[in-house]
Amino acid sequence: MKYRLKVGEETSEIEVLSTENPQRLRIKMADKDFDVTFQRVSEDCLWMVVDGKATKAFVTTTTAGTHVFLAGCSYLVQDADRIAVRTARRGLHDETPKDVTPPMPSVVVRILVSEGAPVKKGQGLIVVTAMKMETTLAAPYDGKVKKINASINQKVAPGDVLVEIEEEVLKNG
Amino acid sequence: MFKKVLIANRGEIAVRIMRTCREMGLRTVAVYSEVDTRALHVLEADEAVSLGESEPSESYLHIGKIIEAAKSTRSEAIHPGYGFLAENPSFADACEDSGLTFVGPPASVIRDLGNKAMARRIMTSAGVPVIPGMMEATEDLERLLQEATRMGYPVLVKAVAGGGGKGMRVVSESEAMREACLSAMSEAQKAFGDGSLYIEKHLQTPRHVEFQILADRQGHVVHLFERECSIQRRHQKIIEETPSPVMTPSLREAMGRAAVSAAKAAGYVNAGTVEFLLDRSGQFYFLEVNTRLQVEHPVTEMTTGLDLVREQFHIAAGDPLRFLQEELFQRGHAIECRVYAEDPENSFFPSPGAVLLHREPAGPGIRNDCGIYEGVGVPVEYDPIIGKVIAYGETREASRRRMIRALENYAVLGIRTTIPYLIDILKSPEFAAGDLSTDFIERHFQGWRQSAEYADAAKIVHILHDLSSPAKASTGQEAHGRPTPWETLGDWRL
Repeated sequence: MKYRLKVGEETSEIEVLSTENPQRLRIKMADKDFDVTFQRVSEDCLWMVVDGKATKAFVTTTTAGTHVFLAGCSYLVQDADRIAVRTARRGLHDETPKDVTPPMPSVVVRILVSEGAPVKKGQGLIVVTAMKMETTLAAPYDGKVKKINASINQKVAPGDVLVEIEEEVLKNG
Repeated sequence: MFKKVLIANRGEIAVRIMRTCREMGLRTVAVYSEVDTRALHVLEADEAVSLGESEPSESYLHIGKIIEAAKSTRSEAIHPGYGFLAENPSFADACEDSGLTFVGPPASVIRDLGNKAMARRIMTSAGVPVIPGMMEATEDLERLLQEATRMGYPVLVKAVAGGGGKGMRVVSESEAMREACLSAMSEAQKAFGDGSLYIEKHLQTPRHVEFQILADRQGHVVHLFERECSIQRRHQKIIEETPSPVMTPSLREAMGRAAVSAAKAAGYVNAGTVEFLLDRSGQFYFLEVNTRLQVEHPVTEMTTGLDLVREQFHIAAGDPLRFLQEELFQRGHAIECRVYAEDPENSFFPSPGAVLLHREPAGPGIRNDCGIYEGVGVPVEYDPIIGKVIAYGETREASRRRMIRALENYAVLGIRTTIPYLIDILKSPEFAAGDLSTDFIERHFQGWRQSAEYADAAKIVHILHDLSSPAKASTGQEAHGRPTPWETLGDWRL
């Protein structure tokens, strides 16, 4: 059985080989070959011995992926094949790191620009607050403020485009 | 002593106060906003009163509603915790006007010490050393620019009503001064309703060392030794400990005496903290007085054996202090780590959401003052602290290792927390050596990334989880595009 799993930016091709013992697997990842025995302790707890080293791990699944806690670290493990399917389904709109959108649910506290104003890449456009912390969302590129879609005290969520920027078209000369 | 107390706060501190109330036989009343209906502090209280909307100004900051809740439940005292209304003199006044005991200093003391410029004047006249800087605050931008030029950069711009790092900026050159003042003013105006600023000389690599004080209504003041809180991000403490690794008996004596003088000069009553900056040469300067219980109070409790919340209630009820300075002593070492729902890989951006899994650390010398539980949501509306872990050991090294052990066993899933970040700080050779300063994080932990050391192990966990999940059949994962283990593994038994 094969997996393609992603942690952070790194994706690994993994092959899982079963053995005669159902609690024992061989897992091949890049140039490494792990000998794994394990026990499912409960729905959210696994005990495993990887190459002779025992670890207890906690695990839970959300739509974002599998959240794993072990040794004081927590990792989000994603199935790369499923991400690819989801992205394809949602089309190009998923590729929107250039939008002015809050990273988490927040409330708008200040709007620093007005419609029609020219802005420089990195210039602050709008300030949002979440859990008492203020964050300034900056212009992703040089351009002109096309539209402001937020007002002060408005609750906003990731994906909401708060300020639309018309990218400056480079002129010759 | 009171029979019933209202706790005008939420989260871990409300829960911590209720624990002492229960031990003292005081009945507790919680208050809560809409989003906190199932919060831990509500579940722990004997009674709970709804304050309505989640917006802080409509709930935990709404003086009228909280006083009304105290009256309707026939509470006799209000404990404000820290944050929210804890250092709001109008709230202390409102309690008194309604015949309720405010568990904290008198309103006039909060007012004087809450004004940082006034506090500096009080300390100067009491002979307590202060950092060179302006003696009064202003909203006049030109005046601030002039003062900064006169003092010489780097300077520290501070909101007169500030706290928790809000309205505070370090400015190292004149070009950045105007913008820094404007943003600090706006932040302070919003957070405290007062945009006035003042400027202090910015000390290079100082330590933050503070003294816990207790003062009764009869005028007795004692200090409960120091806490070192140099590990800060955004001017907010994240790791605190006592004793300070650089403390000597003579320095402790001098700073403790200054702290007691400071408290006496201000007419202080109840528990408070006198904060100092300690420079490399052993000079110390008054920073401010926090007129409330501090987040880091447990390290003092662990090493003195006292319960500060219990002492607060005794003092508020009019009892004299039950001990003299010479009867107090410290034993061992305690470290506290604040656990925040924040993403340490993304400029500590808050990480609210549902707590999907929560397994607390335990074992010898470990205390966890925690405000969440598995299944609860961490709301976006309030401060992201979810708890604090305290490790006690007979030496600093024993408590440091104990803390690492505890945090490595503190499993939280669903929200990002500062736990892995804290572990790396504790493991760093600089922390282990006690080489601390308030810019420790800028110097050693800028742009921190969680180690990928266990990433392969995490992938293995994913696979084992996938292959053995009892919930598998019902999750509709046929979209995987590959055979399920039920098809491939043959005889599989759970």
